[in-house]
Amino acid sequence: MSRVELNTAAPDFTMTDFTGKSVSLADFRNKKNVLVVFNRGFF
Amino acid sequence: MAQLRRYYQRFVKLDTEIIVAGPEKPEAFREYWTKENLPFIGLPDPEHKVLKLYGQQVKLFKLGRMPAQMLIDKKGSVRFVHYGHSMSDIPSNQEIIELIEKQI
Repeated sequence: MSRVELNTAAPDFTMTDFTGKSVSLADFRNKKNVLVVFNRGFF
Repeated sequence: MAQLRRYYQRFVKLDTEIIVAGPEKPEAFREYWTKENLPFIGLPDPEHKVLKLYGQQVKLFKLGRMPAQMLIDKKGSVRFVHYGHSMSDIPSNQEIIELIEKQI
């Protein structure tokens, strides 16, 4: 499985959040840093 | 996750949004976000699209998915990557905040 490398372009994605709103990584370009957290589960 | 919530305002002050992705369905996210009053973006990924894109490690026979964190700067570059080797292998929020303050 590929991994993300430091100081390279982050792979873009467009997904729908749980409220139904579309979220793209590109939306944050030049506006905000983004911390992406992958969790194993909530429960 | 509750820990991350406590640090949320500090991330916001540093112009940083938090996206939490997981394989659970939207209903599970909604329930958990409501119960825990979480301020960040919750991204259900039952088809594992983003998870695969970012290479979250899956250990099939032992513990399931390992936690992973990535910090992406305003230019879209990856500035910090951490792939956990165990469930508890998660960098501290303080550590990530210091990285943002120093690097970005």
